[in-house]
Amino acid sequence: MPTLCLKNGNVFDPINKVFNKKKDIYIKDGKITEKLSEKIAETIDCRNKIIMPGAIDLHTHIGGGKVNIARLMLQEFHNNSDNDYDLTADFVPSTLKTGLQYIKMGYTSCFEPAVLPINARQSHAEMADTPFIDKGGYALLGNDDFLLDLISRGANQSEINDYVAFILKATQCIGIKVVNPGGINAFKFNQRALNVDENSVRYKITPRKIVRILARAVYELGVPHPLHVHCSNLGVPGNFKSTIETIKAAEGLPVHITHIQFHSYGNNGDRNFSSASAEITDYVNKIPNLTCDVGQVLFGQTATMSGDSMKQHANHSHAHPDKWLCMDIECEAGCGVVPFKYTDQSFVNALQWAIGLETFLLTEDPDKIFLTTDHPNGAPFTSYPHLIKLLMDKTFRDDLLDQMSVDISKHTILKDIKREYTMSEIATMTRSAPARILGLKNKGSLSKGADADITVYDSNIIDIEDMFASPTHVIKDGHVVVKNGEIKKYTWGKTQVVKPEYDASIEKKLKKYFDKYHTIELPNYTISNDEMSEVIGSHVNEIKCARKRIS
Amino acid sequence: MPKISDSLNHKNVVCPFCSLHCDDLEITVDDSKLSVRNNIPKSCVSKFEQLNLAKFREISSSIKGNPCDQKKAFQHSRQLIKESKETVFFNSSVDVNITRESLSAASELNGIVDHVNSSVFLKNISIYQRRGYMATSLTEIKNKSDVIIVFSNNLFKTYPRLMTKFLATKDSFSINPKNKKIYVIGNKKNNKRDCDIKDKRITYIDFDNKNISDLLDSFTDKKNISSVSNKFFDELLTSIECSKYLSILWATSELNNYKECNEIIYNISAYVVALNKTMRAACLSLAGNDGDVSFSQTMGWMTGFPSRIKFTGKFFEYDKDAYKATQLINSGNSDLVIYINSLSEKKLNLNKKNKNIVIGSPSTKYNIEPDVFIPCGTPGVDYKGHVFRTDNVVSLPLSSLRLSPYKSAQQILREIIK
Ligand SMILES: [Zn+2]
Repeated sequence: MPTLCLKNGNVFDPINKVFNKKKDIYIKDGKITEKLSEKIAETIDCRNKIIMPGAIDLHTHIGGGKVNIARLMLQEFHNNSDNDYDLTADFVPSTLKTGLQYIKMGYTSCFEPAVLPINARQSHAEMADTPFIDKGGYALLGNDDFLLDLISRGANQSEINDYVAFILKATQCIGIKVVNPGGINAFKFNQRALNVDENSVRYKITPRKIVRILARAVYELGVPHPLHVHCSNLGVPGNFKSTIETIKAAEGLPVHITHIQFHSYGNNGDRNFSSASAEITDYVNKIPNLTCDVGQVLFGQTATMSGDSMKQHANHSHAHPDKWLCMDIECEAGCGVVPFKYTDQSFVNALQWAIGLETFLLTEDPDKIFLTTDHPNGAPFTSYPHLIKLLMDKTFRDDLLDQMSVDISKHTILKDIKREYTMSEIATMTRSAPARILGLKNKGSLSKGADADITVYDSNIIDIEDMFASPTHVIKDGHVVVKNGEIKKYTWGKTQVVKPEYDASIEKKLKKYFDKYHTIELPNYTISNDEMSEVIGSHVNEIKCARKRIS
Repeated sequence: MPKISDSLNHKNVVCPFCSLHCDDLEITVDDSKLSVRNNIPKSCVSKFEQLNLAKFREISSSIKGNPCDQKKAFQHSRQLIKESKETVFFNSSVDVNITRESLSAASELNGIVDHVNSSVFLKNISIYQRRGYMATSLTEIKNKSDVIIVFSNNLFKTYPRLMTKFLATKDSFSINPKNKKIYVIGNKKNNKRDCDIKDKRITYIDFDNKNISDLLDSFTDKKNISSVSNKFFDELLTSIECSKYLSILWATSELNNYKECNEIIYNISAYVVALNKTMRAACLSLAGNDGDVSFSQTMGWMTGFPSRIKFTGKFFEYDKDAYKATQLINSGNSDLVIYINSLSEKKLNLNKKNKNIVIGSPSTKYNIEPDVFIPCGTPGVDYKGHVFRTDNVVSLPLSSLRLSPYKSAQQILREIIK
């Protein structure tokens, strides 16, 4: 592998507290290295260039059953003729296009947040067919009959930890996510809503309990990424209260609240819909182990897709175009795909846009908040450069607010917020912070030994949106894969996984359950490393876990 | 010389053949003879036994029916590909990895990709391309569904273990399985004959399934205008109304025999959607048996379309009419057709107007000799693979049960395209 030097660039490397410092970066064997004395194969002149580690998207729906349903459901939007590789829509791109679009924006690692254990093979196969990027998934738990039954029978925490660890290993995932805790399961028993302290009819347990138990399991197993939580009451006016209660349910253990914008709604005012970003960010700012990503809404056609079949079913009347699909899946979870068009003529959509931006701007520490649109739920990931400009340029966002078809100025404090994100804060929020929260020690960093995933931007480009949309160079594992917008080389990233240890006796219990109630055999549920590389087509990289304490 | 150690016993084997993909098989391989140890329907067992190598030792590649070595067959294939103006990759029975490879091969040649069952599965997909749809999966039905309606004329022949393994099960997690009610509506004689268990939870109702829409209207209006007797109608309606989780199953491939097929599947789906306003109900449309789901899913993530695309240099295009393989073949618009038939023993219908290359399992039959035949192994028997089950959401690993003399279809594709 040829050696490489990025010379004289302005480097942003938040992990090493390097912000806008002139530095040379050396690369050898796919890793960042100290200054090389040997002859360097390729030197890139980085004067007037900004150098950052490759960006990381920690919540983007890029592979698995529901993504594929959306692709097939919405084929009339696959006519994107200004594109030079395939025609699929930006909000439901093919796997090839997903990889191409991400790498061209300088994103080098992306994480699929909703891997149904039973559907993990499909998720991984799709991600394996997504070029360039490293990837990983969060396995969905907390609506599966096996776990809810364990909890309702008062199983002890260590047994639950063993089950969680088994699932991580079996599904080749890097984290655990809970979606509408207990609610998806309750929907199968015809419950239409489930509040944080409400008992499900079938199992008589509350979402609060599920969150607490799973957060503890993830913490005690030493999984770097905290429990990833999609709160109860998605999209329901007034839901900020259940979001705060869900945060409290973790009782101080690390949790990550995802697409928090969709869970920051008040029900004040004549429309019974208001922003509760101030209340929510107050918690985000003061609770140390809490992180969130936003799920910013931007205007345009998209598709919403979620494991939250309960709420997606409740929202299907808003489908645009008018079609949708919900599914109950294998006593594990569910899914709902509802196409949607956000428009600035809608008071609710316009305010959702403002609530997302308020959330970004009111959260003080860029280490605690991550840049997402919950692709494609709020908008396709291709709109990230636009979103970055909204955060960095107050005039730009104020102008957009003024131009909106519907007047929401009395309902948002956006104009009163003076803050503009700095380049350093953007670097933190899209690089070092997601790497840290995922336990990716070799990513999001330009330290010696880190993976050489690097993005180079042209600081001569005045428009910040243009600059972020078109890096001059993107380097993946030491290879220049993008140069001036053109693909120079195809590479295939790895799948990042965790495999915490567990007591194998849980497999005996699971086998009994599978033999009696499931329709497949337990050994076929599990995906081995060999299957990942030989059949699915992606090599795994294991991130170490350190057990915190045995309960 | 065969030794004891040559006999291999495999457990939890996933059956690659029907789209239920039962994965509880125990198979012994002895000198490449496959013996299924489970007590399962003969039709399932015979699919494996079809592939006993003893039968195929002699089957080699051939050119126009004349046996030849593989190298020659590959060379001739490359020649035909080189001379062809338009190549159709006609997937007849495939898994995920074969589909991946046939797409990549087609992109090299600006070819067309279709599947033999596209007409049927495109109808299924068209439900949620046009309106709302509530779906469910087999484990959910097994454990939660207290009332199951199966519209069937021949389903238990196509999916031999559907009733015993998935519907009339001994155990259910969330309901008392004894109280399950299973209504099999359609050709009663066939259904009773093909269903391999007697179970008092099953009620067979003789009905002409082309009139399913009438029956659904009757349910909605609570007034019987269908040909079902009032006794059965009242029982059905009461069961539906009292059910905690109703499942309705059908196979579009079967309903496709009626001109009303589209209307019927839309109406079932609309009926289920309406029920969900107040109760829980869901649909399961059973897929075809030739890797339809594996194919359409893989196509979906790689191209955004379920089938019938043509690569055009920079792009690919989708057109469900223009890129229908049988149409292209009959009209003589394509001059080379590459059939890929890794799983089934069905008879391929070749057309002599164009050149034909068949990459097929050794049990593949055809009406006329292809220009080139190259035998390939079967995923799940000869090499590893990956398939989707009929409910679209469960995907399973196929294993390699024996040392095979045959290459995989994807390897053959790679070698003849390069
Ligand atoms: Zn999401």
